[in-house]
Amino acid sequence: MRHTVSILLQNEAGALARVAGLFASRGYNIESLTVAATHDEDVSRLTLVVFGDDATVEQIIKQSAKLVDVIEIGELTRKEHVERELVVARIEADGSAVDSCLGRFGARLLQREGAQSVVEYTGRADEVDTFLDALRAAGDVADHARSGIAAIERPLVAA
Amino acid sequence: MNAQLDTVGDISRTTSKHPLAGRAMTGADIVVQILADEGLDVLFGYSGGAILPVYDAVFRFNADHVREDGSEPLPLIVPANEQGACFMAAGYARASGRVGVALVTSGPGATNAVTPVRDSMADSIPLVVISGQVPTGAIGTDAFQEAPISQIMGSCAKHVFLVTDASTLEATLRTAFHIARSGRPGPVVIDIPKDVQNAPLTFEGSRELPVRGYRSRLHAVESATLTDAHCAAFFAQLAQAERPLIYAGGGIVAAGAAGPLREFAHAFGIPVVTTLMGIGGFDTTDPLALHMLGMHGAAYANYAMDDCDFVFALGARFDDRVVGVPDQFAPKARAIAQVDIDPAEIGKVKAVDWHHVGSLDTTLDRLLAYGARKGFRKDLSAWHAHVAGLKRAHAMNFCRDSEAIQPCAVIEAINRITNGRAIISTGVGQHQMWAAQYFDFREPRHWLTSGSMGTMGFGLPAAIGAQLARPDLTVIDIDGDASIRMNIGELETVTTYGLPVKVVVLNNSGDGMVRQWQKLFFKGRFSASDKSLHKKDFVRAAQADGFEWAQRLENPADIPAVIEDFLAFKGPAFLEVVIDPDAGVYPMVGPGATYAQMITGDWIASRSAPVAPTGQPTGMF
Repeated sequence: MRHTVSILLQNEAGALARVAGLFASRGYNIESLTVAATHDEDVSRLTLVVFGDDATVEQIIKQSAKLVDVIEIGELTRKEHVERELVVARIEADGSAVDSCLGRFGARLLQREGAQSVVEYTGRADEVDTFLDALRAAGDVADHARSGIAAIERPLVAA
Repeated sequence: MNAQLDTVGDISRTTSKHPLAGRAMTGADIVVQILADEGLDVLFGYSGGAILPVYDAVFRFNADHVREDGSEPLPLIVPANEQGACFMAAGYARASGRVGVALVTSGPGATNAVTPVRDSMADSIPLVVISGQVPTGAIGTDAFQEAPISQIMGSCAKHVFLVTDASTLEATLRTAFHIARSGRPGPVVIDIPKDVQNAPLTFEGSRELPVRGYRSRLHAVESATLTDAHCAAFFAQLAQAERPLIYAGGGIVAAGAAGPLREFAHAFGIPVVTTLMGIGGFDTTDPLALHMLGMHGAAYANYAMDDCDFVFALGARFDDRVVGVPDQFAPKARAIAQVDIDPAEIGKVKAVDWHHVGSLDTTLDRLLAYGARKGFRKDLSAWHAHVAGLKRAHAMNFCRDSEAIQPCAVIEAINRITNGRAIISTGVGQHQMWAAQYFDFREPRHWLTSGSMGTMGFGLPAAIGAQLARPDLTVIDIDGDASIRMNIGELETVTTYGLPVKVVVLNNSGDGMVRQWQKLFFKGRFSASDKSLHKKDFVRAAQADGFEWAQRLENPADIPAVIEDFLAFKGPAFLEVVIDPDAGVYPMVGPGATYAQMITGDWIASRSAPVAPTGQPTGMF
């Protein structure tokens, strides 16, 4: 099954490679990996999405928790959480067709030069897939870049 | 590295101010000062361009702090190569329980250290390896003797620091020692660019890096206590058991828990099997000792594991060389309980019914106190009689009237004199298993072997390190002709430093364990494992390296006298024993086989009909 793992990591030489290496060496393809600094510039937040059986992923998480650089590690899949992914795409198509697609998804136009548009959309990973399908229906998607998933726990609801 | 120091609440090990706090020092001087502060009395290492400032600082430190007897406070033991240095440091650590330190240069110096670092990681041995690195400005330019050590070692070590900011050097060094020895111990590598070694700094005397994730997890484990309810749950399971068995691993040795284990086992009358790494964690001469289990474990140890109905795993990780087929390991056990300091080991291979993550010594003390308070008592006399019967019926044995020297006879002869009180190191292969099977060990840290990694060439340098850690004990390297070749350059190190290490080479003209597998699984095709045409004269090689006592033993009748003379020699001594090249290691649980399929060989009684080996290479390793 699909696992979303969230990691707080000390920014040290090789720290990212060590975490990614633990997953990669077990033969698990990392579907997406996002890394960025937190409010503390010495600490990064990693969000990692992998497919694997529960027991093995749990074991890799336990092994990752032994890495000195790892401050916190947890699996969000087991918790109520929100996931978002950003995509930017360059499309060659009639402007009105693009605009109508953007309107339906709540996506944004970033730039337009003649028949070329650069657009941006944020949503769940499956929504990003649907948006890209819609764009392809509207014209020729020349290129696109996805950010990978950023995820966070939902706010705790007061009992 | 951007590691930042805590601004408030500095983590400080010393409460009083360091007498040198505030003194101007170079990075290299700080390295040496920290080594002295950590209480080291010997360093191992090989010099080179990128570590020269540290070597110079060691020289100056020793010149400035000569002891009254003229000795140096931080003597440097120089090996033939860096692998030797790091295995010496590991031998020192294994024999003493203290952190061993090796100093190596960049590039090839550091890459030669990779094998012992990985070896120490796999066996949980506390080590600090300090490697020189090319100057920060040159990193990543394919500079002379540059290697990406933080990446390479990051996959092998407990942790690696690349110190690119000189202001963090002092805190990093102190933190490295803390990480190496705390929790589940392991090797830490500090990669120090040459400009950082030369940087003018001020010695602060106290700080460490926050490493807050590590510290908070460590604190959680160290402060984990067993509640009464959890103790009660343990004893409820033990009360159900008629045939309980303790399965003790290297964690017992690492945690210094041999004393609590002895008391616990005796208090409740539970027999003990140990893993290869757990040898010495329980006195092998104790009536409750069932010795080593696993692939080459004692038949009675393996049968006891097959027969028991409750397994109490202590600092043991259900390794494939022990468990064989996980589903069929301890098949009659109704419950398995496990204590380990590493949460990742709980239930990793076998699901367990009761567990505690914490230190083994305090956990055993607590369980013992709880059981005593509740007056826990269980009549296990039927189980004791059964186990005693197994030990009698399936005792270790070998061919005792052979014309060729049997290796086990040599080990028995040494053991009659050392009586379980010498430090024994080994290479890897048949001789390692014979030593594990036939020596007695009365205390922990007397058995030094490359357990998990299985590194040939470990024995000689480890013996050197152990002799420096324990000058009061006899240190014997039981080696094989193939294993000792791997680090044979260290024979000269033994004599250079006048260490009274005793080296035994059990020479069966090749890679005996490989041949044993080739006989069993590859139809006797001895691909690359036969060395009978090799020309080395081991005795002359030892003599060339300065061994005054170097002899070859070829006649079984000479064993007692030669062994006695060999061990009585005051200085370094080298003994080559030409052994029966066909001697095998038995019992053997083949790879991927169950204990019930154990082959016991010609001299140990089996309780089941022998199972013919498949004669096919198996997928198992």
